[in-house]
Amino acid sequence: MRRKVSAALRDSLVAEMSSLRAFGVSLCGDKERADDLVQETLFKAWNHLDSFHEGTNLKAWLFTILRNTYFSERRKRRREVEDTDGSYAAQLATPPEQLGHMDMQDFRAVLARLPDDQREALILVGAAGFSYEEAAQISVCPVGTIKSRVNRARVRLAEMLGLAADVDFAPAAVTPVIKSA
Amino acid sequence: MATKTMDLSAEARGAHPGESALHEREMEDGFSANLQAHIGRHVRAVFDEVAREPVPERLLRLLKDLEQSGDK
Repeated sequence: MRRKVSAALRDSLVAEMSSLRAFGVSLCGDKERADDLVQETLFKAWNHLDSFHEGTNLKAWLFTILRNTYFSERRKRRREVEDTDGSYAAQLATPPEQLGHMDMQDFRAVLARLPDDQREALILVGAAGFSYEEAAQISVCPVGTIKSRVNRARVRLAEMLGLAADVDFAPAAVTPVIKSA
Repeated sequence: MATKTMDLSAEARGAHPGESALHEREMEDGFSANLQAHIGRHVRAVFDEVAREPVPERLLRLLKDLEQSGDK
């Protein structure tokens, strides 16, 4: 079958690959596996391009495919060893940028310890740039559920980082939990 | 009016007049704006760190392969 893909659509696919990868890593904690997920997502997307209406939300569509691919694979592999605390985070060994080294390491570690659904909601809304409504579509749940997952994720992160929710602090001055020697 | 009531209650709490409903909501959540911003920055940083990496060659190659197979 001949597939006619407009240059614009192809460019959009390429443009979304970076954030798809980042989403994949946030789901599985492993870049190699994330790349496999992106590869499979591209493949599926390509083969179903006729069901995609150009001009609608390509990014949300791709994220949905990647997410579904990840979770259906995970169901298949359910008997495999579960991630224990930290092992997931330990795989993310890229040197941090922008924020302090300890800061980022700590944060990655606690982010990895969030329940899957909370981490996913937080990433979709807080980093990938989706609205609550879009995130709800991607995760196949009500908007209210996404909102409460995001809230619980924030509260949980603050707890794990030892940042009291009622303390008002200056944005630049924060360094979470560094154990004294 | 709703807005007026909200402003009044914010003032009554000792907040600065003009501080928005958003602030009020954050206080209800027990979550300061700064704390939320702090977490937001970190979440984005973790995500962007990966998103800024160059797309691996094998993924770009796959796209080329798919295009070529479509042209057959």
